[in-house]
Amino acid sequence: MSLRRAGLALLRQQGAPLVESLSATTQQAQGAVREAVEGCSRGVSTLAVKQRMKSVGNIQKITKAMKMVAASKMRSATAATENSRGIVQPFLRMLGDMPDTQGAKAVFVPVTSDKGLCGGINSTVCKYTRATVKAVRDGAAAADSGEAAPEMMLVVMGEKGRAQLQRDMRDNIYGTVADTNKVKITFPEASAIAEELLKTEYDTARILYNRFVSAINQKPTIATVLSPDALERAAAEGGAMDSYELEGPDRPEMLMDLAEFQLAATLYNSMMENNCSEQSSRMSAMENSTKNAGEMLGKLTLTYNRTRQASITTELIEIISGATALAG
Amino acid sequence: MTLQVCIMTPDRIFWNDQADEIILPTNTGQMGVLTNHAPLITALDIGVTLIRSNSNWNPVALMGGFALVKQNQVTILVNEAESAQTIGVDEAEIAFQEAKTKLEQSQGEKQRVEATFVFKRARARYQVVKQL
Repeated sequence: MSLRRAGLALLRQQGAPLVESLSATTQQAQGAVREAVEGCSRGVSTLAVKQRMKSVGNIQKITKAMKMVAASKMRSATAATENSRGIVQPFLRMLGDMPDTQGAKAVFVPVTSDKGLCGGINSTVCKYTRATVKAVRDGAAAADSGEAAPEMMLVVMGEKGRAQLQRDMRDNIYGTVADTNKVKITFPEASAIAEELLKTEYDTARILYNRFVSAINQKPTIATVLSPDALERAAAEGGAMDSYELEGPDRPEMLMDLAEFQLAATLYNSMMENNCSEQSSRMSAMENSTKNAGEMLGKLTLTYNRTRQASITTELIEIISGATALAG
Repeated sequence: MTLQVCIMTPDRIFWNDQADEIILPTNTGQMGVLTNHAPLITALDIGVTLIRSNSNWNPVALMGGFALVKQNQVTILVNEAESAQTIGVDEAEIAFQEAKTKLEQSQGEKQRVEATFVFKRARARYQVVKQL
């Protein structure tokens, strides 16, 4: 700054007559020009960087806020999710888990989120869905039981899954369930969805979701639920059910009720787990985003300062060379 | 030797404790389970289960489900469960009377089925607080 003042003083000194007549207006003009110049020629290169910095700063603020919201939602969802795991165990203990059961109709229920910006969990579930459909189809072909290939149906839960899967599996999509998370996820809600699922008269239902292992670990999981008929077939070959006496309705009806309850409970658990996974995944995605925005802001600040200093230096050179030209 | 009683709803594990005897509200009536009972699966109607520890009877309202008994382990899986602590006496009584009148006044199959369901739930809750 002192160099500039010295340059201007030199200008006034050397070009005395010229400058004196202009001195009064020059002071005013200088002020006005300075402002114009700051906003224009000197500021043009810095303006672009400054705008970029502003937008990146806003992004950083927004992603930070989103991360905190997701963190608090995850905290409250964790307890409920862990509680919902309890009831699935007795069913598995009694009815068994037979993931490679074949049947005439296979229903796949990928559980995804409705909102985005939650990392890779939805892509993972869709990828697994495609792979599982293929595996079941190939498995049935390999078994060579002479039956036709099983009919594959998709009941997609969540908008994101629907958007991804309808690109290449549109014909298989039987229906979509959206906005499950708008109000709390409740067991009656899961029961209603389970009832709709039962109407498809499936033989095997495979629910694909992200199991919440920890805040930084979400595991894609498949839960297999058999229809009452398939259970009957499996039980007829001898299973855990045989050791029990039955009080009340006879075995087919009992199995049907059990299968329906199991489907609703498993679906409820998978919805809760996926919701918790969504929040934790969003939390880490927004954390990364905030960090990246911060880094970008740092780099931009350096660029901005460099640009600013370069333009000041250029202006100084102009002034001084102008002054020396006048003097010399 | 005692029974290990575990009542589970989809939301949480409601009850997990030792007991000497448990009376279950099955579809075919009340059924008592003591230690060393044969393995059993039964469907449960909407009603009250009574759990005895020494000579204390604890009533719990169950809203339909299943009960499994094996090797002195009683696992009860229900849609919903309520114990006396969370039910208000007056509120339960009023709800019970209302449900009763509604059931008597119901017409048509659908109304009657719905009214029966509400009545059973109100009755179970009322019976829990009435026991005390």
